[in-house]
Amino acid sequence: MKQNQVLRFVKTNATLIALVVLTVALAVADPTFSTARNLSNVARQVTIVGIIGVGMTMVILIAGIDLSVGSVVGVAAVVVTLLMQYGLSAWIAVPVTLVAVGGLIGLWNGFWIAHYRIPPFIITLGMLTIGRGVALTLSGGSSVPVTDPSFANLGSAYIPPVPTLVILAISAVLFVYKLVRDLKSGGQRNADRLAASIVIAVAGFALAVYVFGRGDGLPVPVAIFVVIAAAAIFVLGQTRFGRRLYALGGNEEAARLSGINIYQTKMVVYVTVSLLAALSGILLASRLNGASPNLGTMFELDAIAAVVIGGTSLAGGSGTIGGTIIGALIIGVLNNGMSLLGVSSFYQLIIKGLIISLAVWFDVLQKKK
Amino acid sequence: MSEVVLRMEHIVKEFPGVRALDNVNFEARAGEVLALMGENGAGKSTLMKVLGGVWPYPTYQGDIFIAGEKKRFYTTREAEESGVAIIYQELNLIPELSVAENIFLDRQPTSRLGAIDWRQLNSDTQALLDELGIRDFKPADQVRSLTVGKQQMVEIAKALSKRARILVLDEPTSALTDREVTDLFRIIRKLKQDGVCMCYISHKMEEIKEIADRVVVLRDGQTIGDVTPIADVTLDQIIARMVGRDIRDMFPKSVRERGDKILEVRNLEVDQPDVPGEKRVKRASFSAYRGEILGISGLMGAGRTELVSAIFGANPGATHGDVLIEGNKVDIRSPADAIAHGIALLTEDRKAQGLFLDQSIAFNTTISSLQTISAGMVGTIDVDRERALVEKYVAQLNVKAPDIDTSVGTLSGGNQQKVILGKWLNASPKIFILDEPTRGIDIGAKVEIYKLLDRLAGEGVAIIIISSELSEVLGMSDRILVMSEGAIVSEFTREQATREVIMEFATGARRMGH
Repeated sequence: MKQNQVLRFVKTNATLIALVVLTVALAVADPTFSTARNLSNVARQVTIVGIIGVGMTMVILIAGIDLSVGSVVGVAAVVVTLLMQYGLSAWIAVPVTLVAVGGLIGLWNGFWIAHYRIPPFIITLGMLTIGRGVALTLSGGSSVPVTDPSFANLGSAYIPPVPTLVILAISAVLFVYKLVRDLKSGGQRNADRLAASIVIAVAGFALAVYVFGRGDGLPVPVAIFVVIAAAAIFVLGQTRFGRRLYALGGNEEAARLSGINIYQTKMVVYVTVSLLAALSGILLASRLNGASPNLGTMFELDAIAAVVIGGTSLAGGSGTIGGTIIGALIIGVLNNGMSLLGVSSFYQLIIKGLIISLAVWFDVLQKKK
Repeated sequence: MSEVVLRMEHIVKEFPGVRALDNVNFEARAGEVLALMGENGAGKSTLMKVLGGVWPYPTYQGDIFIAGEKKRFYTTREAEESGVAIIYQELNLIPELSVAENIFLDRQPTSRLGAIDWRQLNSDTQALLDELGIRDFKPADQVRSLTVGKQQMVEIAKALSKRARILVLDEPTSALTDREVTDLFRIIRKLKQDGVCMCYISHKMEEIKEIADRVVVLRDGQTIGDVTPIADVTLDQIIARMVGRDIRDMFPKSVRERGDKILEVRNLEVDQPDVPGEKRVKRASFSAYRGEILGISGLMGAGRTELVSAIFGANPGATHGDVLIEGNKVDIRSPADAIAHGIALLTEDRKAQGLFLDQSIAFNTTISSLQTISAGMVGTIDVDRERALVEKYVAQLNVKAPDIDTSVGTLSGGNQQKVILGKWLNASPKIFILDEPTRGIDIGAKVEIYKLLDRLAGEGVAIIIISSELSEVLGMSDRILVMSEGAIVSEFTREQATREVIMEFATGARRMGH
């Protein structure tokens, strides 16, 4: 009986356990890995794929796909830096880029997919090529330097340790409050998930204090990612819109006949993922202090990998943002760890691919039972 | 008299909770057309699936004899090899391939290297078509380009290419034009001369009189009477055999006052997809009233589902005509519009169109009325309120499940249907349309659903029930519409309606004014 529970816990939280095992193993293999500075770096690297992954989770939840996100990263990076070269301040260039690049590309994809029912795979594959072409055309094929120095803050500034600790303390209190309320109302029935979320929260807070509570503090992109992820977790789990996504992905015909506006829902999802990809592009340009038109190449694959490793079904209808974050962390930790250990980048690709295959195989295996 | 090539003895086939076939006995001879008749759900299709090996031995009980030899089919292929071919209502052709490729699918003549010998393939096919006297299409024509009637002939040719001696035709004329029916009958007569035994499933009385030699009737999974020469029975006698059982005392019969007219449909038409000018629903006009249960009867494919789906806004591009609610013309362009106007539709196919199988009872119950459990621009869901609401419906409808977090995919058909009922009750409809509400569920759950509908009508909801079970329509409805071939052909009060008269109108044996 006890053994049974453990087994079930392992099964339902397999990716999380994989992440923990991977982290511990790397910490043992190379002491540099577990330094606060390195972990802070990992967090920042994960941010870019993580933000796109949040949007990609929503797309895959409704049984869609968006292959154009990598190109959106490139276009957004080029556009935001060019706008500043034309004399706009960072404060204006950033929102204009979000709307003009993220918004428009999202509307384009969403329109074809929702209105003409063109398979998302095809229309976003087209956008992948178009986007890259636009980025190359606008930039003339070469890198665009950043002219507004305040722009760099977005990607490379830090929230200092003391405010960071205050923010962490407030979030911890909020988390405990919500937990107590849920327990009272009986909302959290699933004991496994409850246990898992407490374990994750405690470990997460401890780790956050260790990594961000000293030195430079909390990198701004990481903070942005955390806010976006928290908002997405709330939207998917606690709002009408979230319910509609799960319904649409689970059974589109039933969703339509239940009165869900399929068109609108799809539009919002494809615009959201594009906006998030554009944001990633802006953050990347800020940190690199310039935009190469090739920025973001293959990011779509990392984002999809994070979502799939995180347990979201490609058939739609089931999956979580939390899973995607774990998936993104696995990819990020793996990249970082293998580089530290001096594994050749050629081998890194092979190992990454094998892990994606393994994750999907595991998912299929679980579904059969 | 010719040889008996097919005999089925004491066939029993059970599904969980239902005995679909309950001691079926009949025989068919070489060179005859045996009509197999019965209401929807009488067991005709199940019987043919047993014969075709779709339900393999030993998932059924009883014996099958082909040409006097006892057979047990473990696969459909074994049935085929014994000379049994079944042509289903939904044709099993691959539209992208040619006629010849479809007929010889996986059996194409090949050269020594394994490449398909196209010349041989096409000439074999042509020979087959010549034998059947088919001149309307060629072996190389793409199946996609053929009409349904011609595709059916491809299926027949395919069956004969496998040397079928027993050919089952399941409602072969349901989608054919008159001319195509004539062609089909010509081929059937030709096959008769060649000694092929044909089992012909159909609802259409006149057709049976024209083409069949003998008839056997199925009702509630049993053969009623013996195989009878068609000349020895009247259509009335056949209908009497089809509907003969008593209405069991399972329908609540509370007395209600009919309320105000709430729904009026005027000249509603629904286009037939892919066939310009053809209509699935033809100039349908009717009204529904508060506190009344309106039944819509008719055979499968009569256009009942299309009619109510159109009212529900499920097919806006193909729908023409007016819908009035409480006397005002409304423009319903989507199910969301319909729900906003107080209409609910419980769909015919609960798994494909009604349920989110991986999701919980709670999720399924609240999905079409999320505004009842959420508030504000953001639409934050009040989980406590949701649980309370769902618990209420689960108790009220007597849904049997461990808790409301149970995924509906694990529930029985009856409980799934109750979850969908709860979902629509939570939307508080003024007009509640139910398409085959009790299909595939056990008697106990059926009775509970009947009681619920009776209560809702008592509360002033207008109820519209589509059902293929005559006893259900007769037992539940205050008023009954009969549809046939896309049109509403007659209307009865509860007192006027009998099984026989409804069947006559539904099958087209009788028309208004005759």
